[in-house]
Amino acid sequence: MSYAVAVDIGGTFTDLVGYDHETRRVAYTKSATTYGNFVEGILDCFEKAGLTPDQAHHINHGTTLVINAYIQRRGARAALVTTRGFRDILEIARGNRPDPFDLHYKRDEPLIPRSLRFEAPERIDTFGKVIEPLDLPALDALAEELRAAAVESVAVFFMNSYANPEHEEIAAARLRERLPGVYVTHSTELTREWYEYERTSTVAANAYVGPQVNTYIRRLEEDMKARGFTGPLFMMGSNGGLLSVDRTCRQPVSLVESGPIGGCIGAGAYAEQLGFKNVVAFDMGGTTAKCALVENGRFNVESIYYANGYIQGFPIKSPVIDIVEVGSGGGSVAWIDGQNRLHVGPRSAGSTPGPVCYRRGGTEATVTDANLVLGRLNPERFLGGELTLDTQGASEAIRRLAEPLGFGGDEGVLRTADGVLALATVTMAGAIRQVSVEHGLDPRDFVLFSYGGGGPLHGAALARELSIPMLVIPPAPGNFSAIGMLLADARIDLSKTFTGLLSAEVIGDLQDAYAQMETEAAASLAKEFGAQDVFFERHAEMRYLGQRHNIKVPVEQIGDLNAIRAAFERDYKRRYGHSDPNNPAELQALHLSAFARQDRPDLKNLIIDSEVAATPGSRPIYFREKGGFVDAAVYQREALAIGFRADGPAVIEEYGSTSLVGPDDWFEIGPLREIRVHCDRRQGEQK
Amino acid sequence: MTHQASRPTIDPITLEVIRYGLISTCNQIDANIKRTAFSPYIYEYNDFAVGLTDIDGRLVAQCTGGMPPFVADSVGTAVRDGLKIYGLDRLYHGDVIVCNHAAVQGQHLNNTVMYTPIAEHADGTGKLIGFFAINVHWIDIGGTMTHSNDIFMEGLQLRTVKMWSKGEPIEEVYRIIENNTRLPTELMGDIEAQLAGCFLGRSLVSNLIEKYGADTFRTAIDIILDQAEAAARAHIRALPDGEYIHETWLDNDGEGDQPIPIKVKVVVAGDEITVDYTGIADQAKGSINSGYHGGGLTTARVAFRYLVAPDEPANEGLFRPLKLILPMGKILSADPTAPMANYPMPFPTVIDAVIKALEKALPERVTGGHFGTHSGFRLFGRRANGRTFNGHDSGHGGWGACATHDGSGPYRTMAHGDTRLIPLELQERLLPFRIESFSLRTDSGGAGKFRGGLGFEKKYRILEDCLLQTNLDRTNHPAWGVLGGKDALSGSVVVVNETTGEATSQCKARGEPLKAGEVVILSTGGGGGYGPVEERDLALLQRDLDEGYVSRAAAQNTYNVAVDEHGRVTRPA
Repeated sequence: MSYAVAVDIGGTFTDLVGYDHETRRVAYTKSATTYGNFVEGILDCFEKAGLTPDQAHHINHGTTLVINAYIQRRGARAALVTTRGFRDILEIARGNRPDPFDLHYKRDEPLIPRSLRFEAPERIDTFGKVIEPLDLPALDALAEELRAAAVESVAVFFMNSYANPEHEEIAAARLRERLPGVYVTHSTELTREWYEYERTSTVAANAYVGPQVNTYIRRLEEDMKARGFTGPLFMMGSNGGLLSVDRTCRQPVSLVESGPIGGCIGAGAYAEQLGFKNVVAFDMGGTTAKCALVENGRFNVESIYYANGYIQGFPIKSPVIDIVEVGSGGGSVAWIDGQNRLHVGPRSAGSTPGPVCYRRGGTEATVTDANLVLGRLNPERFLGGELTLDTQGASEAIRRLAEPLGFGGDEGVLRTADGVLALATVTMAGAIRQVSVEHGLDPRDFVLFSYGGGGPLHGAALARELSIPMLVIPPAPGNFSAIGMLLADARIDLSKTFTGLLSAEVIGDLQDAYAQMETEAAASLAKEFGAQDVFFERHAEMRYLGQRHNIKVPVEQIGDLNAIRAAFERDYKRRYGHSDPNNPAELQALHLSAFARQDRPDLKNLIIDSEVAATPGSRPIYFREKGGFVDAAVYQREALAIGFRADGPAVIEEYGSTSLVGPDDWFEIGPLREIRVHCDRRQGEQK
Repeated sequence: MTHQASRPTIDPITLEVIRYGLISTCNQIDANIKRTAFSPYIYEYNDFAVGLTDIDGRLVAQCTGGMPPFVADSVGTAVRDGLKIYGLDRLYHGDVIVCNHAAVQGQHLNNTVMYTPIAEHADGTGKLIGFFAINVHWIDIGGTMTHSNDIFMEGLQLRTVKMWSKGEPIEEVYRIIENNTRLPTELMGDIEAQLAGCFLGRSLVSNLIEKYGADTFRTAIDIILDQAEAAARAHIRALPDGEYIHETWLDNDGEGDQPIPIKVKVVVAGDEITVDYTGIADQAKGSINSGYHGGGLTTARVAFRYLVAPDEPANEGLFRPLKLILPMGKILSADPTAPMANYPMPFPTVIDAVIKALEKALPERVTGGHFGTHSGFRLFGRRANGRTFNGHDSGHGGWGACATHDGSGPYRTMAHGDTRLIPLELQERLLPFRIESFSLRTDSGGAGKFRGGLGFEKKYRILEDCLLQTNLDRTNHPAWGVLGGKDALSGSVVVVNETTGEATSQCKARGEPLKAGEVVILSTGGGGGYGPVEERDLALLQRDLDEGYVSRAAAQNTYNVAVDEHGRVTRPA
């Protein structure tokens, strides 16, 4: 037995998926995340799944460790060393106030306080020429200061290092030598693109989590080895690719969206195999809902990410999947303001106290409470029966909202619960429209791919709101992020600033630049993954001469000027609606993604068959459009075979998730055992 | 709220779904404009606003981002001018109207509102029910590049002109616009984006109307406006009645050297607030003027929103309890022929003054003054290779402290929003200077129980001869403290010739020649403090010292504390 294993550690649960490529056996488990020592939760999952670590061929691991360290400010005592005159760049930032009417607006404090920000004499100009040499004796004196300050890590940033990284490299090497045991990192080992604040912020963020991530990964490796695990450990990068342990230790900042990425990879893999061109991946959990576009099996990767959000947070220049998040989850609180207006979220009851129906002391009605009151959740079978839900409590909490709104009696409770869901739907639909509108796409051309604890319950209503004809729910939607991690490729992203007019003269330089990046990436993949087959994707950031806004254009044939120009015109037109064939184009930056494909499980085998009775039960569910409760069929997911089809209203229950099919919808089980809910029948249309 | 009884009823949940839907529509169009616009004014500075009005031109919903001065119903004013000129019987589905006129919007002519009517049905049939409108800073509409004496020197005026009629573009109007701009490619591209945004917005609103029905939609709008009004009145009722006054001065109007008085009176009475600008300066010779709506009403509404109702979505109802007293012919109610190119220059100070006036009435909300000046900084000229260059930079400064924390920043002014400074590495590539340092300015924030935010200091080493234009004000009246907090330091622009040792102040330079090798130091002001210095928490002051936000000397002199040889702070008994 040799299992490919993926482990996803989230805020509430640790999920594990194992797949044996020979026997095609699959195992899923969930266990409470064990703060203090995450390894315990992982071992608990192994045990529940009937596996031992020595049976794992390799482990792909995603974790929210890095983002949590930023948000909870639990990172290292880090220092910053900059060019003389520039230590405040980290604090001045870009001087914008993203929330214009907040008179008391305050950005999050910088990760490194001013007293731990130091300056070194050196200067390189905009073309990479040394104006002032790096003062090594001064640097040595600085090393002593850093030692005295007892810092655990040091970030090095110098002005214009994107054009010439030599001073940074020398300084970092020197500080490593002088400060054994201190984690040292410099900006150009993370990004070779210009903009001093973004690069400083990135390297500061890397230093901030460096010691913690190194300790965590080394310890995890040791603990698993001690229990017989002999294979490699790979980490899930925010770019959607696997990272080696060594690379992760150098670039821990690459783990910032390590958690939610799995679902998007999974959505991409299903979309590719099922032949869906355009997919919206939609993940609804306890506190937020997230969505991302997947086109032709590929999700969009942004080269900048804001930790703790654009409004408060700081930027990280690192390839991160493009996800839009809104404060709408199962735990989102419904409330009434001073003008008697009903709102849902963005505040969440989280997992503690959680929704009223969890009986953990929550008193405010949430989205989950509304679902329960309307019969959409089965109070006896929540999380496979691990938690019995309190319908009475949920109903009372909703009643407290209903009365001020003027909705009396039991009917008023139902009307209000339905309203809470309607408002959550409008908010989530707005997020989906946002990701599609920003890319010039119409949501109606997409398939909605819905997972997470709440995704399958809310997907059909969302699809109808957005006029999306079909909703797809993958197997084990509650564990889907871990499944996605099992499907990931090894991936390395490189980028560099490259400016010049797109013309025959720069083609040679362009080819050289890509060749250099390709050699570097291929060598890394060979070394870190033993990869032989490496494939590349190239993008260039381009614009018309004189503009300031770049678009990212795929570059397929580097040597072919006309092909690059044509791709630019095509993408420009898609984004702006027109193009200008007479205007010269400029290059601004080059991006390279290198992939090495890993063995993937066969997607057909990801559902565990069981002996559950195929005859459905039924229970009454409230649908406002039908004027009240309607009897809905209740299916057990494992019992449904490929090709099965039935009309709504229906619910399909499985461990960790419930799928809802509206009264005018119908559903079928597709070739990969996915549920396909068809939502495009007009109300009242003949079934 | 007195009409509510006679109105058809609508259930509160449908109402909320419509409200969420309208704001979400405006935000989607906001995202769409940013995606499709050409000019950095839009995608970098967010110099635009998206809104929906009802059939009378009342603002119903607006996007949540955008520039603060646009929140004051800039789009509704234009629509109401259209209703006055054409009347409803001459406006049709498929019309697109533009307006940038000084008599209507009363701001610089770049701000151009475009709008299109929305009919009851998505196919354009049925009665008109509202307008979808977008205000965009047009990148160039002709006019002088430096200073002007009247509005006619500032470019092309379009007073309520149809660009489309019944679904067809009017090519003559396009031709006029295209031939009256220095940047036709960019401007026509932005206009395309603005137009596409109007049409997409119209269709999204139509979908909502189709879904709920025109009558329900109209009723929902009335209730949404009334609820916003009720919310605003409830906030105002919580304030103590009284008359509140503050007076300050701008340095000058950029032409002469006379201080410009900014005297504001705010009257709180019951559930209404009146802003009285009677004491404000008369219309100026320099181009710092704005019209009654674009200046007076706008600044009053921005201050109102900052102080009283920051979380309420902007609409016509929200501003009903706000009254304005403003005689014509003032800098905020100038004649439509007055020069307005630099119209927002007084805004940050006026808004600051309204906030300061209310310090006793709203101690939990007010903040110390902010640095409050646009601090424009432009270097231009011709490179050795003959190519011209023109680099706009600007100063970000400190913001005032408030009842709960120290002031923040450096940010841009209260008349700006999500406006980012230009990266130094980009500036060095494009322009003939090198930045020698870019630092927070120690001691620039006003002292107090909570300290004002710091300004910055930026040193430019000039590498080739060039010209300097600046616009930095409030040097004589820097950001003030509130409720006993101290004033901040003001900003400055100083040109230093290191060989002669000569240093000259250049706060309002108009093309001042600079020599290669000279250094220009741009220092921006800090924000004012909040509350008396005696109440400053010693731990916070210790941190200020440790981090270098406050110098040892300032701690001793301003905060009256003792600092020992290890830098430890104690307060003498």
